[in-house]
Amino acid sequence: MLKDMVSEKLIKLQIEADNWEDAVRQAAQPLVDENKAKMSYVDDIIKGVKEMGPYIVLTKHVALPHARPESGALENAIGVATLKTPVEFGNEENDPVKYMFCLCATGNSEHLNALAELAGLFEDKDFFDLLDRTTDPAEVMAYINKISAE
Amino acid sequence: MYKALVCCRAGMGSSMLLKIKADQVISENKFPIQTEHGNLDSLMGFNGDLVITMEDLSVELKDKVPYALGIRNIMDKEEMKSKMEEFLAAKEGK
Repeated sequence: MLKDMVSEKLIKLQIEADNWEDAVRQAAQPLVDENKAKMSYVDDIIKGVKEMGPYIVLTKHVALPHARPESGALENAIGVATLKTPVEFGNEENDPVKYMFCLCATGNSEHLNALAELAGLFEDKDFFDLLDRTTDPAEVMAYINKISAE
Repeated sequence: MYKALVCCRAGMGSSMLLKIKADQVISENKFPIQTEHGNLDSLMGFNGDLVITMEDLSVELKDKVPYALGIRNIMDKEEMKSKMEEFLAAKEGK
């Protein structure tokens, strides 16, 4: 479940970033701090985008930074981050990115239900309205708990 | 029934979300497409008809697979639908 993969400590709201790389590193830092991923996992996210292009930008203003499990994923987790000033990732269709969901998946299929819930959230205007206005991780977590329980 | 591999670099994130959305579009339109998912390594030995991936990756894959379908906006069902229709039309035209 999504609520089991996200926690308040993994939510960073209204961060200020200089560029996409800085944005990804800031959004992913809580995953490292909470022992969900090694720094090498974050490095692999950056490397992936540099090598393959901004394929982690999935839909308008939304990125799902993630890397290969073997690069240093320790536990299944999802971080949520919003940017005070949206940044360009070089994805013509969906730039600029304002919302980032850092996925750390260890390779088993436990995170699949969570991703399905996340796909539902991507269509939930109320969720993005909340992300736009709040600076309180508890409020975001409460929303995720609510939809994840339904 | 056509076999499609939905993949991304890691096989964990974008490809899973892409598969969820692709399956929705396929079932809503009753397209004769069956999806499985994987990472770029799964491409080797894949003997299906179609690879569905994010646009940036599809450009790199174009010459390596039978048919690469690149999605720009994962939540845009119309984009997905029309690109699948293009694929099916190309298949039927053969």
